[in-house]
Amino acid sequence: MNTSAVLHAQGVEKTFGTTRAVAGVDLSIQKGEVCALLGENGAGKTTFIQCALGLTRPTAGRVQVLGQPAGSRSARGAIGAMLQDSDLPELMTAREHLSLFATYYSRPADIATLIGDTGIEAFADTRYKKLSGGQKRRVQFALALVGNPDLLFLDEPTTGLDQAASRAVWNNVRAMVDRGKTILLTTHYLEEADALADRIVVMQKGGIVADGPTDDIRGRVGGALISCQTSLLQSQVISIPGVRSVQEKGRGLAIVSEDAALTLRHLLDRDRQLSDLTVQKPGLSEAIDSLTDTTTQEAA
Amino acid sequence: MSTGTDILLAETGAELRKTIRAPEFVIPTLALPVCFYLLFGIMLSRGGAAETLLATYGVFAVMGPAIFGFGAGVATERERGWLDIKRVSPAPAWSYIGAKLLATLVFAVFALLPIYVAAATLGGVALEQSAWLGLLMTHLLAVFPFSLLGLALGFRFGANAAIAMSNLCFLSLAVLGGLWFPIALFPSVMQGVAYGLPSFHLAEVALSFTRYATDKGTGDHLAMITIMTVVLGGLAYLAWQRQRT
Repeated sequence: MNTSAVLHAQGVEKTFGTTRAVAGVDLSIQKGEVCALLGENGAGKTTFIQCALGLTRPTAGRVQVLGQPAGSRSARGAIGAMLQDSDLPELMTAREHLSLFATYYSRPADIATLIGDTGIEAFADTRYKKLSGGQKRRVQFALALVGNPDLLFLDEPTTGLDQAASRAVWNNVRAMVDRGKTILLTTHYLEEADALADRIVVMQKGGIVADGPTDDIRGRVGGALISCQTSLLQSQVISIPGVRSVQEKGRGLAIVSEDAALTLRHLLDRDRQLSDLTVQKPGLSEAIDSLTDTTTQEAA
Repeated sequence: MSTGTDILLAETGAELRKTIRAPEFVIPTLALPVCFYLLFGIMLSRGGAAETLLATYGVFAVMGPAIFGFGAGVATERERGWLDIKRVSPAPAWSYIGAKLLATLVFAVFALLPIYVAAATLGGVALEQSAWLGLLMTHLLAVFPFSLLGLALGFRFGANAAIAMSNLCFLSLAVLGGLWFPIALFPSVMQGVAYGLPSFHLAEVALSFTRYATDKGTGDHLAMITIMTVVLGGLAYLAWQRQRT
């Protein structure tokens, strides 16, 4: 048993009626790690996070934060969280929210410094109601930091934000990473995981299907990514030599191949009308697809 | 390290701040009872109404902030995910409810004062100092059962439904509890209903401090209020348990 872990989950299961939302998750996060939890909707990410936050009790297994049971007051004092779909009371300002939350913690951040560090000065004294979506998210981010947490949970921190607002949140996160904070992040956006995380954990159907350093996960695919427009069907392409997985992408197909030259020869042979052809190294997106896609497993 | 008292005070301050920043809630909630009182207790008064309605409208004045503040307030904060943020923080659960109760007590004082002033001046109600104090205590006591009722509604229903249910409870408790008209004017079936409502028993206790006490059973009324408060507390607890998965 790993006692030095900031977060330690052991055999965590959560069932709702007959649905197993989380089906036996073991996960340890060490100090200073920035771990991204990826997976499709319904993969169990949010339910797992809720167990780790103590918002819901696992059906089996346990989660500890710095050796304390998740949800206990000392565990809650050591974490900060930015939750999905959570809004603050509209009639108070960011500064008022932060000052109130500071009273909950034993060693809170200095409010003025925190406001400066998270770049929210410009709207710190504006009522929450009047803020834009991006500004609200950044206030929530500041609120997650008010207790000087050892472990920061960010559940879909940039969902629904435009590019500029997402960048602002990312910069905030990076600044925390530089200070050695431990972060557990869930996201739909692979770009976000790629930009922020040094470790990636992929969940599918309630279990962990891949766990490793971001570079490893990306490298796991190998081969090449072929994009093209073709009249061939996905089911026809999967049987072409060298093809590891096929995804629909825009109006065409994205094909991951272990042997690009071989696959291309077959492709061009079978579809003489094939167009818009590009060949590149696979990114994180293809890596995750190939780890979770069922067609891949059939082909493998 | 903050003590529990610091948290409670900071939290109460935040609650009061939120309240006064919602004038569309505060003004009608404060103005309605005193306007009713001025109309029925003073302008259209027929002998003694200024004094009896002081007792019953005081209960009515406290019901608004307690039922709506808790019912709509908690439902909205729960629906918007605010309660989850609190639950993830090390804030003790009692501070959230304790602060709302304190803020409601403060609000209740402001709802009662104009009625007391109107009664003492325009209404010519002359009571002993101890009777005024007893009246105030009774009216403030009303904050507890009604806040727990609001809490149960706030945990059980979504924001919109909680507002509708709060309205329903508010009006039923006022009319059927005899806060607007004495239940002696009701048919006997409806008088029976009144006995099942905390608003009726609170009004009876309040009346005992005036010259118009309807009966001598203040102890029985207080016992009923206690039982109902405990039941409402139990309902609020069940609603709280039910909404967490």
